[in-house]
Amino acid sequence: MRDFVVPQTDPATKVQGAVHLEYAFRLRARYDPPRASDTPRGTFRYQDITGGELEGARVKATVYPDSGGQYDIVRPDRVRDVDAHFMLRTDSGEWLYMEHVGYRRTDGYYRAIAYVDADLKGAYEWMTNTTFVVSAEESKDQREVTFHYWIAN
Amino acid sequence: MDTDEVSRRRFLGGAATAGAAVLGGIALMDAREAQAATPAGLPEPQYFDDPSGARIGLRWAFSAVVFFADRVMLNTMPEAAGRGYTSVGGGEIWGPRLKGRVLPHSGADYYKAGFNTYYMFEAGDGAQIFIHNRGTMRRFARPWQPGVPLADPPAHPSPDHPVWTRFRATPTFTAPKGPHDWLNRTVFVADARRQPDPDRTVFTYYEVL
Repeated sequence: MRDFVVPQTDPATKVQGAVHLEYAFRLRARYDPPRASDTPRGTFRYQDITGGELEGARVKATVYPDSGGQYDIVRPDRVRDVDAHFMLRTDSGEWLYMEHVGYRRTDGYYRAIAYVDADLKGAYEWMTNTTFVVSAEESKDQREVTFHYWIAN
Repeated sequence: MDTDEVSRRRFLGGAATAGAAVLGGIALMDAREAQAATPAGLPEPQYFDDPSGARIGLRWAFSAVVFFADRVMLNTMPEAAGRGYTSVGGGEIWGPRLKGRVLPHSGADYYKAGFNTYYMFEAGDGAQIFIHNRGTMRRFARPWQPGVPLADPPAHPSPDHPVWTRFRATPTFTAPKGPHDWLNRTVFVADARRQPDPDRTVFTYYEVL
């Protein structure tokens, strides 16, 4: 492997950048019970999303039933890799695609990053090219999850 | 059915079949404590609340400067649609929870509508840590302030009409078992800033608490 000499740069290179979280909306999602299977990577865990309501000051939408769900893996260290994909329709009829990547741990930590795609000529274009930081709570039977979304400004 | 519990029972069951049910319990407790443990002397987190009372925190974990080598577009499609290749030359990592360097020539941004970067960190103790970094970028007229809607960027930027680039990176790490294991179970968000001459980006990584 070739070596690399880190160039000498102005000390200002080491700027401390800031991230401010701005609350955006909440989603209460409903799922079928998980279907678990033993795989080489851990316990794969599929959960069909059956419904849900997304509510915020700038957007209201409902989950399009059966449009996806969670494709998670419970790893050997018991941390669950969360990988969620589904579609929503806004109250004005536009489609939204939501993707979530995160971790659910046994200590109650359930955090993720969400990315949203919307029509670039529609009313929800502001949700695209935007990083959402998500905290989530899961019901005991794991069939209801409330996601809280903050924009990383 | 609680499949996480199934996984837990399997974990315990494995230990029990080895004739060490008590040890299995200890291993379980260790795993729990390891997940909750955070080292002392870290920066103060910043917390954010939502109207329902949910709370989320950010705490500076470390920073990295990444120097780039080649910038290539594979085709003549617009940048938003085409595939690009920006290779990582190297860099350094500093901060309260990780110190080290970017492993030289260890990967690149293979972007397509948003960056999508694969390369390696080498921690001060020699640990090899894989970083897969995704992110979003958007330009506005001025930095975000609470309660002020973001405005579109000026068509002709000037000192009087500056542009604010909201450049956010969200990495996932694959780190070896040991002191860097926390990277495998923590969500991160970073501020990213491109700097010219030499071509580089400075990332400020925050753990999401």
